[in-house]
Order: sequence, then C-alpha cells, then structure tokens
Amino acid sequence: MSLEPFQQSAALSLGVELELQLVNTHDYDLAPYAEDMLRMMAKYKLPGAVVPEMTSSMIEISTGVCRSSSEVLGQLSQIRDALVKCADKLNIAVVGGGTHPFQQWHERRIYDKPRFRELSDLYGYLSKQFTIFGQHVHVGCPDADSALLTLHRMSRYIPHFIALSASSPYVQGQDTAFDSARLNSVFAFPLSGRAPFALTWDEFTVYFNKMTKTGVVRSMKDFYWDIRPKPEFGTIEIRVFDTPLTVERAAALSAYVQSLASWFMNEQPFMPAEDDYLVYTYNRFQACRFGLDAVYVDPATGEHMALREHILLTMHQINKHAEAVSASSSLKVLRGDINRNHNDARWLRERQGQERLLAEVIRQAAGRFRGSAPQS
Amino acid sequence: MNEIMAIWAQWLKPSAGLPTVQWSILLALAAAAGHLVQRYLGLPKVLGYSVVGAFAGLAGFTGAVWPLQGIGLFLVELGVAVVLFEAGGRIPLRWFRHNPMVLVQSLLESFGTLALVFWVLRLLDVPQAVAEPLALVTMAASPAVLMRVVMDTRASGPMTERAMVLSTLSTLYALTLVSAQAGLMDRPHIGMMDTLYPIAVVLGLSVVVGGILALALRSALRVMSPNSENTSILLLALIAVGTALAAHFGGSAPLAALLGGMLLKHLNPRPWAWPRQLGTASSLLTMLMFVLVSVVAAQADWNKSVVTLVLALVAARALAKILGVAFGNAGSGASWKQALWVGCAMSPMSSIALLLVSQFVAASPSQGPMIAGIALPAILLMEMLGAVIATVAIHRAGESSKPWAPVLLGSTLGDGHES
Repeated sequence: MSLEPFQQSAALSLGVELELQLVNTHDYDLAPYAEDMLRMMAKYKLPGAVVPEMTSSMIEISTGVCRSSSEVLGQLSQIRDALVKCADKLNIAVVGGGTHPFQQWHERRIYDKPRFRELSDLYGYLSKQFTIFGQHVHVGCPDADSALLTLHRMSRYIPHFIALSASSPYVQGQDTAFDSARLNSVFAFPLSGRAPFALTWDEFTVYFNKMTKTGVVRSMKDFYWDIRPKPEFGTIEIRVFDTPLTVERAAALSAYVQSLASWFMNEQPFMPAEDDYLVYTYNRFQACRFGLDAVYVDPATGEHMALREHILLTMHQINKHAEAVSASSSLKVLRGDINRNHNDARWLRERQGQERLLAEVIRQAAGRFRGSAPQS
Repeated sequence: MNEIMAIWAQWLKPSAGLPTVQWSILLALAAAAGHLVQRYLGLPKVLGYSVVGAFAGLAGFTGAVWPLQGIGLFLVELGVAVVLFEAGGRIPLRWFRHNPMVLVQSLLESFGTLALVFWVLRLLDVPQAVAEPLALVTMAASPAVLMRVVMDTRASGPMTERAMVLSTLSTLYALTLVSAQAGLMDRPHIGMMDTLYPIAVVLGLSVVVGGILALALRSALRVMSPNSENTSILLLALIAVGTALAAHFGGSAPLAALLGGMLLKHLNPRPWAWPRQLGTASSLLTMLMFVLVSVVAAQADWNKSVVTLVLALVAARALAKILGVAFGNAGSGASWKQALWVGCAMSPMSSIALLLVSQFVAASPSQGPMIAGIALPAILLMEMLGAVIATVAIHRAGESSKPWAPVLLGSTLGDGHES
C-alpha cells in the first residue's frame, strides 16, 4: 500500500481524541459496556465522534476540527455531558486517567471488530495490556513538509507533554513510582517510540515505501510513534499524553500544543536535528518517572535543568503566540499547576494516601470527570 | 442408607457428633463434584453441589428434615441473607431515578410471572389456595445461583448486571408478599386492610432491622477498611445477628439483609471491596445452602400429575419472565438480544424459594403440604436446570471472561483455574 497524499488542513487547527475508562459503580473495576455506550450515544447529535477501542471497557471520543482550545473544550464538554447521561442510565461511570489503577489485564475482552481481532492475534497478551488510556492531539499543518518539520520540533517537548498530562501512577493495584506508567506499555510494541528523522515528505515517502516492502507495515496506523503524521487529516498527531482526569485539562493541553505549533510555524525558532534524539529517550523516561520533578536535558546545549523550569521558560517564550490563538487562560491554568507542583498523578496519589482504597480513588476521579468533585 | 448410618453410629463416636461427620463428607463430595462438573462439562459448580445434594436426598439422607427447622433453617436463612445483602448492595437507588424503566421491567416480569403462573395452575385445576402461594414463590428468581454462575464464568457486563438486579428485586417483592400472605393463611379474609397490614408490618420491621444493620456497618466502615479481613468477619457476624433477630420480631431475615444492603449502598456510596475478602467462608456457607436445598427438595414425592404441574409451572414462569423483561425493555438502555438473555438468566430457583415454601408450610398445615408437593420438585429442577440456562445465557450474551472449554466436549483450553 502506498502512502496517501497529505491532505489540506487549516494551519493550527486542532482536534482532540480522548480514550476513556468505563467502570461499574459497585467495585469500580473496568466494565465491558462499550457496545452499550456506543448504541446509546448514537441517539445524541454531537460534534466529533464516539468509537470503540481495543478492549470492551474503553471508549474513544473525539472532537471535530476546532480553531481554538476553547472550541475543543466546548465540544468535549458537550460529548462528556452526553456520556455521563448514558453512563447514569447504564449504572456505570466514565473516568479519565492513563491507567485503571487495579484492573487485571487478563480479564479484559477484545472488542469485537476485525482490526482489533487482527491486532489481538498478532500481539497476543500485549493487546489486552493495551487497556491504557491516552489523549491524542492533532494540529493542522499547511503542507506535508511543514508537518514533518513541526513534528521533529515538537519532539523536544515530548517530556513537557508527558509531565503535564501524567495520570497513570498505578498499575495492577501497585504504585509504580512512575507518574506516567502508561507509556511503558506502549513501548512494548515493536513500532513505537520516535518517528524516523525525515524532514521532507519525499524522504518520508521513501522510508514508508521501504517499510511496506518489508511487509511489516501496511498503513500509517501500524506505527505507534509518539508523534506521527496523519496524512488523511493533514495534521501531526501527538500521542504521548495520558488521558487527563478532566476535559478542562485535556483542552488546556491542546492549547499548549497549539501555542507551540504557532511558535514553530511563525518564527521557525530552531532547526531540528537528528542529534536531538540522543537525549530523547532519556528525557522521555525522566518525565514518565518523575513527572514535573524530572530533569530535562536540552538537546541543543546539553544543559541539565528542572523540567518544571523548562516548561515555564517555554510558556514564557510562546506567550505572544498563546495570545494569538486565544490560549493564554489555559496556559495560565497549567502554569498555576506547575508552580504548585501538581498534576493528575499527584492528585491520584494524594487521594490514595487519604483513602487507602484505589476503588474509592476511581470513584472520586469519576466525580471529577463529570465535574462534581473537588479539583484538588 | 439409613441402615449403613445406624451400623456406623454403633462403633463410631465422633467428638462433634455423627451429623457433623455426615455433613462434612457430603460437603466434601459436593466440593469435588462441583469442581469436576466445571472442569469436565464446563457447567457451573452449583450444578455439582445440587446433584450431590439431590442424590443424598433421594437416598434418604436424614441430615436435613422437611419442613426446615432449627439449625438447618438458620443456615439456609444465613446463607440467603449473606447473598441478598451483597445483592442488595449492587442496587444503587439513584439508578432508578436515571433509568426508571428498569423498575418497570422488574415489576412487569415479577407480577407477570405471578399472574401467568397463577392462571396456568388454575387452568390445571389446582385449588386457588395452593395456586396463589405457588405463583408468589415463582416470582423470585435466585440471585444466589446467578451469583455463583457469574463467579464461575467470571462474567461481567450489562446483561449480567441487569439479571442480578432484576433477580434481587423479584426476590424483594416475593419475600414481602409471601411473608405477609403466610400470616394470612387459614384465616378468613375481611378486607383490603387485612392484606395490606401484614405487608406493612413485615416490610416495616425488615426495614428497621436492615436499617440498623446498614447503620452499624456504615459506622464500622468509618474506622475500618473494607479490604480488611476483620471487616468481612464483622459483616458476617452482624448479618447472622440480624438473621436471628429479624424473624423473631416478626420481620423477614432475608428481606432485612436485602434492604440492609440496599440502604448501606445508599448511605455509603463508596466502592464495595469486601466481597472478595469474604472468600472461602462465604463460599462454604453458600455451598452448604445449595446442598441443603437439594437434599430437602429431593425428598418430595414424584408422580405423573406432579411432573405435569411442575413442567407447566416452570414453562409459564420462564415465559412470563422473558416476556416481562422484553415488554419493559424499551427505553431501558438494553438491546432486545440482551433482554432475551436477561429473561433466561432469571430462570434459577433455589434457597429463597425453599424458604418461602417453608413459610407457607409452617403457616398452613392444611395447604402447606400440597404447596410443597409441587414447589419442591420445581425448586430442585430449576436449581439445576436454571444454573445451566443462566450459564448458557451469559455465554451467549458474550459476557463471560472465561471461554467455555469443557474437557469432555473436546477442548483442551480449560485451565482448571478456580475462581
């Protein structure tokens, strides 16, 4: 199969996908209600889409094409409200977060869809361990070459995204000591990690053709990269975010991506280089493990600094662009959280410290998702 | 069998008495049969327990006498109370505010069953005084059997949850109505108040006992972790106290436990983590309950007319439950296919039905034996067949986490893993 052409899209347009957990209201374990939720959600007239995910306790919602993060928030809120209504009717709850803290992967069921069955056959137990929940942010690029340039520039900020969105400290009932343990599950897939260093669409096409010739991949869907081009949408798709606990935070994260992309496209602040990736995996690990307390190694200078400081520095650098895309208030919220060293992983640990019962933490997280629980 | 026991009793002087030895051996056989039935036929363990109990009953095992009384009655009541407390705790009252159709569905299937079974039995010339109690007993589906089947198949999903909730609600109605009706048996009717007053008394007293149970547990949960083994023991002990006291005050012990579970879930919406901790103690209690029910139910007299009546009753009940669930399905959030399987999964009858019959037998020496003559074979049949139907329904609805892999049916996938 050849690489499809890169479609036209409005520069800096946004699209957000959120993978969400469906849990029962008895012991707050994952519950296989995806099919029922899809059937009920089909009755609502909503922007974007609601689709199944790999296992039957997951559901994915997505916005349509948005111009700003406030539009993202408007659409996500609308879908969230419908989800909550359907969940109430089915006596289940919808929750954010990158992992379910105590679900047992072997109890999961693959959603009955040809592609998921095919992936399950190929990946075996990994497909059930893929019951993890992420946020994907699409940002529109004016053309294919600028998409690849933006993709590789954005790679330097992957640790920022991970630390800001981290919400998966618990796996199989244990504190992993990671803020984002979810990405460790993604790493098990053979075609995960960083995208190849190709700065033009022609170079990328050569790479893609070589890969398809090996028979290892058939389409772009087979790549599980942290950021990948999405030619059919005319976007790049950032996939390292854990699903946050609220749609407000999901929209704020998309505001940060949009402001960065605006900076890259309008100012061309630096040229990406293959050597950027020398520290890529280390920075990524640091962000997963320590969240906002991570150390960040600047790929250009080799300087070590607190990731928290580097995020604040970037936010200062992109201030003008944030204003231009109406993202200032979202960035202000994120900055506030950074200043008090807070992210969703921290919130989950605080609740668990208080409650000593992960199921109760999930119940409270479900309250946050529907907008009825204390924020911190 | 009794001769063997008599010979045995002459030379064996066990410290805890011969009945303890007999029951221990019976339970050991039931445990083994349950395992083998699941391992080699892919059927629920409860079927193995029931088969062993039924054989013992048919062979004249005297360890349990009918009508139930004393420690046997208490054990069944306690087993039912534990199951119903947990089943009640799965019903958040707020759900009915968001989805009142579930309540409609429940009322339709329960009272539809009452009406259809009564009509069919009257058609077969069963006297009204017998048909009415039998119809009331058949309202109750068995959350106990369903819960065991769910554990065996490691099932979860909308159909399973709905079947559990509807079974529990049908039990709630049946317990209330039967307790009240039993009090009125062999008494002349005067008016509407004569019917309503006992219902109010049974329900009121059960609510009080259930409320005290719920408040005690809520207080305990403020300082104790639901994950703690001690909390599980506390829960069992409090249910045992409630069981012993509820009937004494004129309420219904299982009803009190069921309402206690519902009230606790309402007062304390935090997750229920203890059922996993209840573990083996609760499993032993429920296994004992299933064996006891089969032993007792197998003591019924079987003849051609009883068989006809039992089959008619079972068929009418199944039809009414399926139709009731289907008629109330529109707008309830479930698909038609799910509604069909929910109706099927509600076919088991077991310990609760036996307790209800027991109440009628105790209340009416004249009608009681006739009611039990039809009810006991029906209970035995539907304890076993119902468990199989529920298993098939769960598998067909795609809600079992465990593949149906019985060794005898040619698959090698069975891992023999105990749930």
